[in-house]
Amino acid sequence: MKLLLSIVIIVVIAIVGSRLTFLNRRLPLGFRNIIFTGIEYIFLGMLLGKTGLNILDFRSLNNLEPMLIFGLSIIGFLFGLQFEFRGLRNLPRFFFSISAVQAIVAFIIITPTLYFSLRALFAFPHEIILIMALTLGSAACCTAQSALAIVNNNYKVKNRKFFSLLRYIASIDGLFALCFFSLAVSILTTATSEKFSLIGSLKWFLLSLAIGIMCALLLVILTNTRFTRQEFVVFLIGIVLFTGGLSIKTGSSPLVIGFICGFVYANLSKHRLRALAAIVHSERSIYIIMLIIIGAGWTPMFGNILIITCIYFGVRVIAKMTGTFAATRVFKSASKVPAAAGIGLLSEGGFAVAIIINFSLLYPSLSDYLVTVIIVSMFVNELLSPRLILSLFENPKPKKFIKIKKNGIR
Amino acid sequence: MTNRIFVLLLVIAVAFLLLNLELGQSQENSPVFILGIILLVAYCLGFLLEKIGLPRIVGYILAGLFMGPFFLNIYTFSEVKDLNFINKLALAFIAFCAGGELRVANIRRVLKSIIYLIFGISAVVFLGITLSVFILSSYMPFMSQLSISVRFAIAAIFGIIAVARSPSSAIAIISETRAKGPYTDIVLSVSVAMDVFIIILFAVTISVAQVFISGSGGINLSFLLSLLIKITIAFSLGFLLGKFIVFLIEKVHVEFAIVIIAMGFVVIEFSHLLGYYLSEVHDIGLELEPLLICMAAGFTVQNFSKHGENFLQRMDRVSLPIYIAFFALTGAGIDLNVLRASWVLGLTIFLVRLASIYIGSYLSGRLAKSEPKIYKNVWLGFITQAGVSLGLLAEVSRRLPDIGMSIQTILVATIIMNQIIGPVAFKLGLKKVGEANV
Repeated sequence: MKLLLSIVIIVVIAIVGSRLTFLNRRLPLGFRNIIFTGIEYIFLGMLLGKTGLNILDFRSLNNLEPMLIFGLSIIGFLFGLQFEFRGLRNLPRFFFSISAVQAIVAFIIITPTLYFSLRALFAFPHEIILIMALTLGSAACCTAQSALAIVNNNYKVKNRKFFSLLRYIASIDGLFALCFFSLAVSILTTATSEKFSLIGSLKWFLLSLAIGIMCALLLVILTNTRFTRQEFVVFLIGIVLFTGGLSIKTGSSPLVIGFICGFVYANLSKHRLRALAAIVHSERSIYIIMLIIIGAGWTPMFGNILIITCIYFGVRVIAKMTGTFAATRVFKSASKVPAAAGIGLLSEGGFAVAIIINFSLLYPSLSDYLVTVIIVSMFVNELLSPRLILSLFENPKPKKFIKIKKNGIR
Repeated sequence: MTNRIFVLLLVIAVAFLLLNLELGQSQENSPVFILGIILLVAYCLGFLLEKIGLPRIVGYILAGLFMGPFFLNIYTFSEVKDLNFINKLALAFIAFCAGGELRVANIRRVLKSIIYLIFGISAVVFLGITLSVFILSSYMPFMSQLSISVRFAIAAIFGIIAVARSPSSAIAIISETRAKGPYTDIVLSVSVAMDVFIIILFAVTISVAQVFISGSGGINLSFLLSLLIKITIAFSLGFLLGKFIVFLIEKVHVEFAIVIIAMGFVVIEFSHLLGYYLSEVHDIGLELEPLLICMAAGFTVQNFSKHGENFLQRMDRVSLPIYIAFFALTGAGIDLNVLRASWVLGLTIFLVRLASIYIGSYLSGRLAKSEPKIYKNVWLGFITQAGVSLGLLAEVSRRLPDIGMSIQTILVATIIMNQIIGPVAFKLGLKKVGEANV
């Protein structure tokens, strides 16, 4: 009964929610930074989960695990599909360079800081601390689009090129986060044996790569000849399920393998846009389902982990600013970018949440620690981000609210 | 075609390697893994069989069977059982489609044939199987020692289960071949109507048989009233659900197929829960028929709104993965040990049923003055048996625990044969009358 109820509730919320969230809604100031950015579903999940009404209890959540695997796999695949070399080449090269430098610098600053902080505050084994730090470091690299979308929908800002750069970074830095996360998972996989093994990690990485490429090639082969729309749905669902299943079977990450598969397919097949169009509509619903499930399974933690959260938040602000500052100084073409551009990249969510969910699947006992850090930080970041982004622009003007009549005539 | 063969072999090889070379870290297969393999392999095999003129669903069923414990052993029976909810969702989805495919205007044109066929086939198949099993009963160890009346009662149970057919297979073949025409309408309408009719016939037969087998008490006809209430409620709820779907189509723009599948799941679970609640708390034996509700809902959308075709088109967009998963899982659930144990009796019943369906449909068609090409070929559409028959068998086992398992073993063997031969025959029938558009 509970499983039925949970599935119905989650599906209904996800479907209705995908119509409301992330859209151009104008809400009273204060609300608009939180509502409709996605965070609300984590709290909704908490309400339904073990800390609230307990409708989504432990057993139901366990039964919903395949949904998470499928969701992660599809999110990775969709993300990979966006990286088509031809398309990327059309954008200014320094856009990519800035994104890379800010993400790498952020990771380099955040991971060691968190490693030593965790070591000082928790008595976990060395490998566990390392994995936690690496995972948080990779999640910290990601920037969510939500705050930028709020600003875009509510304000007229000058310097559109700079705004585009921020959006570009927010859309691409997940790539670096994913690379760092792969590193974390490769250690995680080998740390379960007696000692850390570089060859083991390398083997894991190569296996992930091989599975991702193989699945992409399968999809390329299947779509090489004529096929109907229904068949395409079968190919996509089949491949995404197969990658997700293989990743769990081999102890790999569905997010990473899904990404590799999507990335290879995007660059080898002429049906990239068709694939994107077929799946992209379900992305919001899947993301919402994952937020609800993660919220439902989360037990908020207090004490030392809140100190870690504060450190994470503070260091992330510094790291993002330092990273962007360094990038603007390294690349001449980026010299017009404001030195403090990093404060426009604080919004967190989306891919960072996917990374944490993937981590929770692989290491459930540590899930609550990392989820606490990410959720609290995400909440604060979403509150602050729109204001911080606006501070980067000269004289931003609120957009006039124009009511559009049902027949479309203003 | 070669690329499908390559994909088929590669996916199987990868799964096989993971399982046998212990490359995998986890011993158990995740449902995601099984579903992924099933979708890809079954699709490819279905595609290949279609190239040699066989229906795709035979490929799906065979793919499920070959990857199961009797051949490649990629998954176990218990792992397949864990995916039972997929079957429930798929069945509900197919029931919505089956109801939606019934167009009153089309049915009216062939109504006479439909009515004659329902009664004609039911009577001939029931009598044919009942008499055959009664004659063969002395060769069946579990029946040979029983009295004549009990043997006859048990034979009647065989007879009634042989009457059931599979609307899900019919709808899948119609969807695959994009068939349209009077032959298609007749087969689909009769299959769907039989789903309702069989519930009544089965309830009557099993109640009478129970009296003979247990040898005590008389026939309590109160179950007929409860049956009537059950069917009326199912149709009423289906009508309301159909109206709700129309509302969704008109007013709410949502991921339609997901909503329909979720609705189907709710209907199935709600019916079981309500039945359980009524029997446990109020001692009322009234379990609703969820598939009837879904069919009635589909029928309502098609015939009581202007969105019937829109509804079917939207359903059609996602139907292929659902059919593949459903039939492949059906194949994966086939227990060949059962077939091995009772294939002689199973085959005999299969052949008698085939002959009875042919005679019943030929006579009914002639009496209804159908077109010759229809009454000569319509029997080909009525061979398949699947979910409904298995459901009835489970009910027999529950109500007659002493002999239920023996009946089940023999009839499951027949159902397996019908499951594989039925779709091939129906596709052949559609081609013969020229209604298959592929």
